[in-house]
Amino acid sequence: MSLKPLPWVAVGLTGAVAWGAIALHRGETINAAWLVLAAVGTYLVGFRFYSRFLANRVFELDDRRATPAERLENGRDYVPTTRWVLFGHHFAAIAGAGPLVGPVLAAQFGYLPGTIWIVFGVVLAGAVQDFVILFASMRRDGRSLGQMARDEIGPLTGLFAMVAILAIMIILLAVLALVVVNALRDSPWGVFTIACTIPIAVLMGCWMRLIRPGRTMEATLIGLTLLALALVSGRWVAASPTLAPIFTLSAPAIAGWMIAYGFVASVLPVWMLLAPRDYLSTFMKIGTILLLAVGILVVLPPLQLPAVTRFVDGSGPVFAGKLFPFAFITIACGAISGFHALIASGTTPKMLRREGDARLIGYGAMLMESFVAVMAMCAAAVLDPGVYFAINAPLATLGGSLESAAQVIRGWGFAVTPEQMRSLAAAVGEQTLLSRTGGAPSLAVGMAHIFSRAFSPGLTALWYHFAILFEALFILTTVDAGTRVGRFMLQDLGGHLWRPLGRTSWYPSVVLASALVTAGWGYFLVQGVLDPLGGINSLWPLFGISNQLLAAVALCVGTTVIVKRGKARYAWVTLLPLAWVLAVTLTAGWQKIFSQDPHLGFLAHAQAVAAQVAAGTLDAGKGARFIFNDRLDAVVAAAFVLVTLMLVAACVREWLLILARRKRPVIQESPFVETAYAS
Amino acid sequence: MPASPATDGRLWRLGRALRRIFGMPDYTAYVAHLRRCHPERPLPTEREFFRDYLRTRYADGPTRCC
Repeated sequence: MSLKPLPWVAVGLTGAVAWGAIALHRGETINAAWLVLAAVGTYLVGFRFYSRFLANRVFELDDRRATPAERLENGRDYVPTTRWVLFGHHFAAIAGAGPLVGPVLAAQFGYLPGTIWIVFGVVLAGAVQDFVILFASMRRDGRSLGQMARDEIGPLTGLFAMVAILAIMIILLAVLALVVVNALRDSPWGVFTIACTIPIAVLMGCWMRLIRPGRTMEATLIGLTLLALALVSGRWVAASPTLAPIFTLSAPAIAGWMIAYGFVASVLPVWMLLAPRDYLSTFMKIGTILLLAVGILVVLPPLQLPAVTRFVDGSGPVFAGKLFPFAFITIACGAISGFHALIASGTTPKMLRREGDARLIGYGAMLMESFVAVMAMCAAAVLDPGVYFAINAPLATLGGSLESAAQVIRGWGFAVTPEQMRSLAAAVGEQTLLSRTGGAPSLAVGMAHIFSRAFSPGLTALWYHFAILFEALFILTTVDAGTRVGRFMLQDLGGHLWRPLGRTSWYPSVVLASALVTAGWGYFLVQGVLDPLGGINSLWPLFGISNQLLAAVALCVGTTVIVKRGKARYAWVTLLPLAWVLAVTLTAGWQKIFSQDPHLGFLAHAQAVAAQVAAGTLDAGKGARFIFNDRLDAVVAAAFVLVTLMLVAACVREWLLILARRKRPVIQESPFVETAYAS
Repeated sequence: MPASPATDGRLWRLGRALRRIFGMPDYTAYVAHLRRCHPERPLPTEREFFRDYLRTRYADGPTRCC
């Protein structure tokens, strides 16, 4: 008997033992090491066996077949790239705020449900989705998800997919902007540092364009140095009696600035702001993720949060709803993210050097993303549960003061004292941490805790603001880039109505489309800021639903491709995740619209507000605004669900026609060309 | 493109890999590609290449995820 399987038996056993340890340690604190071991063991087994099955049996990746990068090489976007470099490129493109914020919010159920979904969800669903879309796009010269939906299913489906992507973009931008607003309100240090990123980026842009053209790396290093200076001097600004008030902004004021920034940035030339910000934030992102991984491995912190909290019954303060479906909605990008399908059908398929590399890049990079989500869960779980809920529960629930908050949280069975919150806020250099919903601040507190223990005791405040800077920086870059992408999509759609609207260089059309997109997400942002429940409560689930419905669209396209290739017997690889994602999102969508619980259902909340107005306990104008927003949220959720159901129906019809041999499967793959690369 | 210490060293290769990872334009690689595959075409200046690269990169759909 050969000894080859032995290492894999060891890996599998390690993962199994780690899961066993997690299962047996109920009711006592457990070390983060067990979560990391269980996750990595599961990933390795999933990668070695399941992704190999997908690559060899389902997709039949063929290294003799020339990739688009080889056939269409143009030195710019079609560039054959070594696989580990491309892995880095793809990971840098898919990693973002989603896998960090989602698990932190889902920690209200305890660390266990979220971790199980993050680890098994990615192996069986998320990584499969990314892989199948990367594969399909690679075989179609790098076409986008929308184009593939149109080519493989039909023009109407393609149009639906476009509209769905645009709508998701709007909600995504609003909710991410809200995360930043909640992290920066009343925080002069944070506002100063983030404000500095704008002139730093403009300086970099001018450097790369006017002073030393094309020296991107040099400009980025200058930018990073200035960023570090801004971060350190933020402490001094926050302590200065003259400067601190200038940079102490309320939530509505920050929202206003962000909307203005989003609009201006999206009409400015790319070189001036977007590209330099993109480089800065990508460097920061990769650097911080590596730092966090090292930090967790060095410190191996014990997890203070219980494995499962009482809030699985749906009474949680961070967001409403029971474990099923809302844990799965909230985790979002760490386990499966429809948005990745846009990236996997974007730049990456045009850079694959060999077909076989798609396995490491499509499946492997998503495992890495899931690992980021596990680390975020660890960072949230190192906090005392009382502190976690004090940071993440809305002000309306906690009452206005630290004393009332401590009392409410004690009522939930977790201990926290006002003194504890006061000294924590002082330690991280903030006035207060009470009710900073949105996930970013509690993640930053957790990260600061890990970083200061791993690298430099005593610098907690600096690490906290480093973590805030890193999150806010790439969220702002997403706002900027997303508004621009939304503008192009809107112009594309508008071009169907009136030709000149589609001209991306016609200034009136550019300004109009940018203004519409900014107004779209800006409206939801302001609604979230003014929402007494903190906004994250209603907007994050809406984002989760839309992101997973996009995943459903991607899995539908993937299944269509598999069926058309004559591999219908393997279609379960995408059909099972599709069924699960649909079950989760349709249940969540239904509950968000129709639940009788006013904390959960938009319509029930509108009724409760109407009752308050009738009873005279709420101002009629305010009440009318809340009711309108509730109904709008309900309509948005319903629209997402309906568009997705229509898309799924169109696909199912297509599959059945093909399987019944009533329609010839026409596959749009580019023809086989043999590679010129030596094997 | 003739091999030179500036474009052949380990540091240059590392820089090139980083550029790819972060989605930055790589003028040297583009010039090398043009010389190899389309020797008849005129070479753009670094400035022109940079401008065109950025315009197409951010116009094609999302380049970064949430």
